[in-house]
Amino acid sequence: MNKTRPIALTAGATGAFALLFAATPALADTHTATVSVLHAIPETPVDVYANGEELISDFMPGTLAGPLTLPGGEYDLTVYPAGADPESAEVAISLDDVEIPAGADATVVAHLTEAGAPELTPFVNDTSAVPAGEGRLTVRHVAAAPAVDVRAGGEVIIDGLVNPNEESVTVPAGDVSADVVVAGTDTVAIGPADLTVAEGANTIVYAWGSADAGYELATQTVQAGASAPSGVPGGSAGLAADEGMPAPLVGLTVAGLAAAAFAGRKYATSRV
Amino acid sequence: MRTPAVVLVLGLALGIGTPVTWALTQPDEATGTTVEQAIDASSPSAMAPAPSPTAAPSPSGAVPPSPPALDLPPVTTRDAAPTVAAPVAAPVRLSLPARGVDAPLDPVGVSPDGQMELPEDVDRVGWYRFGPVPGDDGSAVLAGHVDDREQGLGALAPLRSTEVGDVVVVTGANGAETRWQVVSRELITKQVLPLDTIFGRDGPPRLVLVTCGGPFIPELRSYRDNVVVVAEPLP
Repeated sequence: MNKTRPIALTAGATGAFALLFAATPALADTHTATVSVLHAIPETPVDVYANGEELISDFMPGTLAGPLTLPGGEYDLTVYPAGADPESAEVAISLDDVEIPAGADATVVAHLTEAGAPELTPFVNDTSAVPAGEGRLTVRHVAAAPAVDVRAGGEVIIDGLVNPNEESVTVPAGDVSADVVVAGTDTVAIGPADLTVAEGANTIVYAWGSADAGYELATQTVQAGASAPSGVPGGSAGLAADEGMPAPLVGLTVAGLAAAAFAGRKYATSRV
Repeated sequence: MRTPAVVLVLGLALGIGTPVTWALTQPDEATGTTVEQAIDASSPSAMAPAPSPTAAPSPSGAVPPSPPALDLPPVTTRDAAPTVAAPVAAPVRLSLPARGVDAPLDPVGVSPDGQMELPEDVDRVGWYRFGPVPGDDGSAVLAGHVDDREQGLGALAPLRSTEVGDVVVVTGANGAETRWQVVSRELITKQVLPLDTIFGRDGPPRLVLVTCGGPFIPELRSYRDNVVVVAEPLP
């Protein structure tokens, strides 16, 4: 289990954000990054601009855009109400100098803070390998709500998660019934919802929404490194073994050689 | 006195002929291309790790000072509500008519010890359900016990004597058959089994049949090797 704290970037904040996306030097020959965008602000269709160009139009709450393959680099992201003219409209949210290095897999989430203010938070998606037969389950709290616990099949698997943090666990692959409760209680805030934790992948679950609009779950699946099993067993009796020559054949061989030796000796002595 | 000469010749023939004949009738350790070549032919990065974001951060000097000009790709959006994946149509039967193999298939996963799970019943064969369905891209793995102390020889015992060109038939969940042709059989020591290749999920469709073989090691109650057979789709 690991806890990671993404760098939260406040709406409309200025200045350079040293967003520490990590890149893989070994993959420096790939100059692109994989980027998804989740819209998790209730009741507000938006348009998303990257470096002044429209990236997603009429983006509906609860939908996921991408994955997009973008050149690695820094991006200025701006969100406007859907259909607004970017020349004149008031910016809903913006986030400058988001560094997306080549090789990274990231999701940018437009969501509400715990207090209910719109915000853009970039998350790095963990694509490292998981053991054979297992999947990674990552939960991100992007709802206007206090701390929560996340349960799978009624058991708490992640506790005390606060906006805008994430936490990952590795679990056996398969279908789970997940719900979100107010931290430390049995008061269900979201769900339960059935979802599939895919083997060899990172299944990312977002808890989003607000008290007024209601809370919901959103999911995203990102391929992680799959692993092979550690071996293939296969037999316990030795019935199919590659053995030495069977005893009767060994006997036949020995008998033949003995007869030959005996006869050879006799032959030799008979010549004397 | 010619009897000793006759006995000498016959004795030598028996003494030398018996082991030679026996050796010649044993199946070769391998036939066809090697397993790794057969699977890797067009998938050099069968299990290449996905790009990992956990390595060192990129040098900031490599980042262009101004935002790059965008050539934005078309964006698709989808509802992000939680979903349950549709169940995969598991294959149900495996047969190698030339070797007398005809066994039902069970979907299997991973044992607690990390090895591939196999059906307890040696007459049944396991399909590794986290890998592809036979016919999909990548390597579909079917494996079974070669024998059991109580149950005797298993369904896959004849795998050791398969030859290149043998036909393999897999019956899918809907009754449709896919036909395959053996291109490789190899006896590989378990410790050096190329697992990432055998269980690779990329590349062209391959069928990989695995059981145990080679010498039996009584102290470990296990065989030294795996018998690995690779088959390619028949048109």
